[in-house]
Amino acid sequence: MSTVSFILPSKKYKQRVTIFSISALVVFVACWYMDFNPIGFFTEFHFVRDLLGEMFMPNYHVLADDASTAFSIVQTLSMAFLGTLYGGIIAIILAFLAASNTMPYQFIRGLAQFSLSMFRVVPILVVILIFVIAVGPGAFAGVLTLVIITIGTFGKLFAEIIENVENAPGEAIFSVGASRMQVIRYAVIPQILPSLIANLLYAFDVNMRAAIGLGIFGGGGIGFQLQMAKSVLHYKDVTALISIIIVLVIVVEKISDYLRRKILGDEKLK
Amino acid sequence: MMAKVKKYSFKRYRKYIIPVLVLLAVAEGAGLACGASLARLQEGLFKGVAFFGYMFPPDWSAFSEMLQPAFQSIIIAFLGTVFGTLLSVVFAMLAASNLSNSWVRNITRFLIGLERSVPEIVILLLLIAAFGLGAMPGIIALALGCVGMLGKLLADVIEEIDYKMIESMESVGANKMQVIVFGVLPQIIPNLISYALFRFEINIRLSVILGAVGAGGIGYELDYSFGMLQYHRAFTAMLVIIVMIFGTEHLSNILREKIKVGGALK
Amino acid sequence: MIEVKNLTKSLPNGRKVLDGISFKVNKGEFVGILGPSGAGKTLTLRCLNGLLKPDSGSVIIQDDSNSGYDICKVSKRELRTIRERIGVVFQGYHLVKRLSALENVMIGRLGQINTLRSIFYGFTDAEADEAIKALEKVKMAHMADTPTGNLSGGEMQRVAIARAIFQSPTLLLADEPISNLDPSNAKSIMKMIRPLSEIMPVVGVFHQPEMTAKYCTRVIAIKEGKVIYDGDPKLTEAQLVEIYGEELEQIEHQEHTIPALITN
Repeated sequence: MSTVSFILPSKKYKQRVTIFSISALVVFVACWYMDFNPIGFFTEFHFVRDLLGEMFMPNYHVLADDASTAFSIVQTLSMAFLGTLYGGIIAIILAFLAASNTMPYQFIRGLAQFSLSMFRVVPILVVILIFVIAVGPGAFAGVLTLVIITIGTFGKLFAEIIENVENAPGEAIFSVGASRMQVIRYAVIPQILPSLIANLLYAFDVNMRAAIGLGIFGGGGIGFQLQMAKSVLHYKDVTALISIIIVLVIVVEKISDYLRRKILGDEKLK
Repeated sequence: MMAKVKKYSFKRYRKYIIPVLVLLAVAEGAGLACGASLARLQEGLFKGVAFFGYMFPPDWSAFSEMLQPAFQSIIIAFLGTVFGTLLSVVFAMLAASNLSNSWVRNITRFLIGLERSVPEIVILLLLIAAFGLGAMPGIIALALGCVGMLGKLLADVIEEIDYKMIESMESVGANKMQVIVFGVLPQIIPNLISYALFRFEINIRLSVILGAVGAGGIGYELDYSFGMLQYHRAFTAMLVIIVMIFGTEHLSNILREKIKVGGALK
Repeated sequence: MIEVKNLTKSLPNGRKVLDGISFKVNKGEFVGILGPSGAGKTLTLRCLNGLLKPDSGSVIIQDDSNSGYDICKVSKRELRTIRERIGVVFQGYHLVKRLSALENVMIGRLGQINTLRSIFYGFTDAEADEAIKALEKVKMAHMADTPTGNLSGGEMQRVAIARAIFQSPTLLLADEPISNLDPSNAKSIMKMIRPLSEIMPVVGVFHQPEMTAKYCTRVIAIKEGKVIYDGDPKLTEAQLVEIYGEELEQIEHQEHTIPALITN
C-alpha cells in the first residue's frame, strides 16, 4: 500500500468523459437549433454529385469569348495592388502616430489607436455596401473596401512592430541632437523596413483573396464574373473561373512567398 | 566644395528612381483598370458621409429583432469552427511527415494549399448551388475554410514534435494509434485550442459576410435592410454586429490567455 | 539473454559502420559499451531493439519462457510484442512532457494493453498502483502528478527507469543515460540501474569510462565498427588510449582523472 497521493486514472477518466459529454451535448443542441445535420452532407451527397456533373467539364472559352474575363483578372490584381498600396501607406502613417515610441503626445496617440480599432472592428459587409452606394458598384468600391480592410488588419500590427524596435540606436542618434523625425528616419525605419515589406507582400496575397470575395458583392473583378456566371446557371463557366482563381491565388502566393523570403533573407545577411 | 556635397547626397537616391517610376506606372494602370479617380472619390466621399448621416440614428425598435439572427450567426461560426477543427486535425495528421509516408503527405499538403486558395464565399456559393440556402452550407463552408489555415498550422506543430519521444514510445511496443493518442495529442492540444479560438474570431466575421450571401443570420439582416432601403434598420444591425465581434474577440482573448497560463490542465 | 551475431551495416557511400559485431550478455551482467564518437556504439544498441535493421547478422533475445527470437527477422507485429518486454532509457527527451510522471510510467505497458481500451479508457487504477510502486523504487513517487516537462534531467531519467521497471522487462537497454547529468545525479542513476542487472541483462552505451569501471560487470569497446575489447570493466590508461585515441581528453572526467582511475 502506498501512502503517496496521486490522481487516480479512473478519476481522470471520469473527468474526461464529463468534459466530452458536455461538449458533445452543446454541439448537438447547437446543431438541432440551427437545423443542421452534419450527416446530411453525406446522405444528401447526390446533390453535390449532380452539381459536379453540371460543373464539369470546365468551359475555358470564357477566356476567349470576350476580353471581359481576362480583363477581370487584371482588375482583381489591380484591386489588390491599389488596396495594399494605399491601405499600407495609411496604415503605416497611423501606426507611427499610434506607437508609443514615435508619438509622445498621448492625445494624438489615443486618437490614432482609436481609429485603428475602428478600422479593425467595422464589419466589412457594411463597408462594401456603403461604398457600392457611394461610388457605384464595380472595382473602385472594391479598392476602397480593401484599403479599409488593410488598415484594419495591419495598422495595429505595424504599430506593434514599430514599438518593438531596439531603443539603443534611437537613443544614440537622439543624444547627438537629432530631431524626432531624424530619429525615425535613421533608427526606426531601417529596423522595421524588412518586416514592413514582408507584411505588405503578405497583405497583397490576402487582398487578392479578399478582392475575389468582394467581387461577389458587386466589387468587380473575377469574383463578379463568377457571381454573374452562377446566377445564370452557367456552371461550366463557374468551374473554369474557379480554376482560374485557384491558379491566380497560388501564383500570387508563391511570388509573395518568394519575395518575402528574399527580403527577410537578405536582411539577415546584412 | 559645396557643389560636390550636393551631388553626392542626391546621387544615392538614383537607384530608387526606376523602381518608384515603375510603381507609379503600375498604380496608374491599376487605377485605370478599376475606374478609380480622384473625382469619383471626392464625389463618393460626399455621398458616403451624407449617406452615413442618413443611416443615423439607428432604429432602436428593430434591436430586439436583431438578437436572434446575431445568435444564429454566432452558432454558425461556432459549429463551423468545431467541425472545421476536427477535420483539420485529421488533415494535419495526414500532412505531417512524421506520421505519414511522403506520398500521402504531399497530396494532403497540396489539398490544404488548394483549399486556402479558394475564398470561403466561393465555397459557399457552390454549396448553396448544391444544397440550397440556409445555415447548412454556411457551416460547411466555414468548416472547410478552417482546413486551409488550421490544417497547415497543426501539421507544422506535429512535425515539430520531438522525434525521440515518438521513438521511445515505439520502443516500448506501442502501436501507431497509441503513439498518436499518448504522444502526439498531448503535445498539440494547447496549440490546437489556441488556433481554434483564433479561427473562431475569423469565422465570426466570415459568418456575417456569408450570411449576406445566403447563410442567414445577421449578415442576411444587414443585406436585406440595405436592399429594402431601410437604412436605420441597417445601422442597428451594424451596431449589433460590432458588439458581437467585440464580444467574441474579447472572450477568445481571455480563453487564449487562460490556455497559456493553465498549460497542463488538459 | 541477448546474443548479437555478426552485425554489419554500411552507409550508402560504402563505409562500414558496423563490421561484424558479436557478443552475448546474460542475466546478471551489466554491460557498458564504450568507444569513440562514430564508432558504432549507438547503432549497435539500436539494432538490439529493432530501431535499426542491420544489413546482415542476427540479434537473438531469449528469456526463460521461450526459445529466442531474432529481432532482425521478425515481423512488425512480433517486434512490437518483443518490445513490450524491452526497457529502454535514452539520453535526452523521451518522456511525454505534458503528461505526468505517473502517466509516463504507465505508458511503458502500452504494448501490453489492448489498443482500444488504452485509447478510450486509459489506464486502470490497478496499473496506477503498480506504477506508483515503480516510482517508489526510483524515489519519484512524491512527484507522481507533476508534468515531466517540469522535472530536472536527473528526475526525468529516474522516471524513465521507473517506466522500464514497470514493463517487467527481460532486457534493459540504455543509450548514454547519464551523459546529460551532473556527477551526483549520474551516480544515483548508475546505482539504480546496477541492481536491475540481477533480474535481467542490462546493456548500456556510455561515454564515461570511470562510471562503467565502477558499476558495470563487463565492458565492451567498439571502434570503427568492430569489437576491440570485451572484458573487465576496469581499463588501464593504455587501453583507454587505444580505444579513444585523441578523444580521451574530451571524455568527461568530472571527478576522476586517469591516474585515479588506474589506482581505483
